[in-house]
Amino acid sequence: MNTILFEQVTKNYGKVQGISNVTLSIEPGVTGILGPNGAGKSTTMKVLLGLTRPSIGAVAVNGVDPFDNLELRKKIGFVPEYDCFYEHMSAVEYVSYFLMIHDFDSNDAIEIAQGTLTELGLHDAMHRKIRTYSRGMRQKTKIARATAFNPQILILDEPFQGADPTTRHLLMEKIKSWSNEGKTILISSHILHDVEYLTDNIILINNGSVLASGNRHEIRKLMSNIPIKVKISPIDKKKLRPLIKRMLDEKWITAGRILEEDGEIILETNKSEEFYTFLPQILKKEKIVVEKIMSEDDSLDSLYSKLVEGKQWK
Amino acid sequence: MEINKMINRAKVLFPPIFKDCFYRLITNILTWIIIVILMLPCAFGLLIYYEFSDDRLYEEVDGEKIYYTDDGELLHEDLREAYLDLSQIFGIGFIALLLGIMFSSELINEEYNTKTMQILRTSPIHPIEIFTYRYLSGVITGVAIIGLYSTIFYIIVMMGAGIHGILEELEVLALVIKIIILTWIGFLSIFCAINVYFERPYLICFIYWLFWEQIISGLNYQQLSLTHYINSIIYDSLSEMGWNVTASDYGLVNSNNDIIATDPFISTLIVFIVGISFIFIGARGIASKEF
Repeated sequence: MNTILFEQVTKNYGKVQGISNVTLSIEPGVTGILGPNGAGKSTTMKVLLGLTRPSIGAVAVNGVDPFDNLELRKKIGFVPEYDCFYEHMSAVEYVSYFLMIHDFDSNDAIEIAQGTLTELGLHDAMHRKIRTYSRGMRQKTKIARATAFNPQILILDEPFQGADPTTRHLLMEKIKSWSNEGKTILISSHILHDVEYLTDNIILINNGSVLASGNRHEIRKLMSNIPIKVKISPIDKKKLRPLIKRMLDEKWITAGRILEEDGEIILETNKSEEFYTFLPQILKKEKIVVEKIMSEDDSLDSLYSKLVEGKQWK
Repeated sequence: MEINKMINRAKVLFPPIFKDCFYRLITNILTWIIIVILMLPCAFGLLIYYEFSDDRLYEEVDGEKIYYTDDGELLHEDLREAYLDLSQIFGIGFIALLLGIMFSSELINEEYNTKTMQILRTSPIHPIEIFTYRYLSGVITGVAIIGLYSTIFYIIVMMGAGIHGILEELEVLALVIKIIILTWIGFLSIFCAINVYFERPYLICFIYWLFWEQIISGLNYQQLSLTHYINSIIYDSLSEMGWNVTASDYGLVNSNNDIIATDPFISTLIVFIVGISFIFIGARGIASKEF
């Protein structure tokens, strides 16, 4: 099992705290790590990659300390946010070099490197020097280096930056297929939509502390003190007023508003489970057919802003 | 990781890194500035040659011209001393050491700056391999540049004494090249290790060379410095070649004026031991460095 465990990990850089008392368990599949700049995402990744030791606490990747374990590094692929190239090498030379570090025979290494780079759409440029590459090409080269040796654990720090839409889509599908193969993938991205598409498992981190981790829907349910806003759009717009009046009779509805122009009502509830259980029954009883029920609050974007921007504490 | 495995891996892992390091070192502007400084005595030598070459005294023996000084001494014996003296400032002296300090920074510190070292630290490569490949690349490139320079400089200086003079003093050229190789083996490993541990490697390398190698090497505890062993080899070789040199010319005496020169074989061995020891020290630094 490719598991990552953090037990009360704190990492200090002098007087500056990188992460504080982080306890996590990351299982196979895709997990998104989200947080603003300086939140502690990179420190978390560095600790689990063995690039730095925790000041307090313990980290175990597949049951071992990652700091100086060469065997473990054979199983981990890392795509950093920053550039890290031997600029005078071509992409094939660069990727095959790292494959040879993983004990691949030089001929096999070149063949695999070419295959991986071709798959990522770098076929025409893979023999050119990296120093001539665009940002997107560099990103693909980094991904090829980190994935060509088929690692069981993938740490991806902003893997979509600089990628064109085609590459982004390709990468998304690749990440999904790697996840289906049972790999453990930790992905950090500022583009929440990308993470939302890939996984429901998230770690929200801010000021070095984990604010929440787990399934995003479950996290949202636990935040019962924050009302969920749900938009309901009946087909027959004449039903807007009767519907809002009926809904406000329920004690689990805290507020309601009609948006005449949009033909919608917005309802606020702090009991999402009751809401989603009883709403269909009410609609059926009142014979109201709706074309859309949508909760923007359930999106990762909303969850992120509520937790990271501290709205839940207000 | 086993030593045998490391040696086998080196066959495929060293050449690409050597190619990259060589390219980086050769295209570095500082390399060329130092090469220009090194070439100054060559230019000066050429100037003197063309200015005074017609005034030389010579005699022909078996069709070969042997040149003499105005005092009737063999000219090549004068010139070889000039060559060795200038080499001790340039090719095997301060200027070459500046090149070594610059190389070590480009080889190690630059990899921290470009963050390739971070990627290597997440890859299954032993820190000894990381350090050794870069160190060896530096030694090979440094010895190639300074060796070529010293050969050109030798020819320019000695051509005043004609073909006879050039061929007669090849021993001196061989000695200088031997010293270049040993100097680079010893000093580059120390400089590279300094680059692993310190954030301002240029300054620390220079301070080390100035205070440790220059001051200590003139005192009773000079065996603690690499310069002592390099000087011991030069002194012994020159004595073997019949030059009129004394141990005090190379500072190989203690405060009681006793000769404390070390046997050349032991000196060579110590230079190699220092080189290997600092590979381990540097590798340890890479392994324990946190990012």
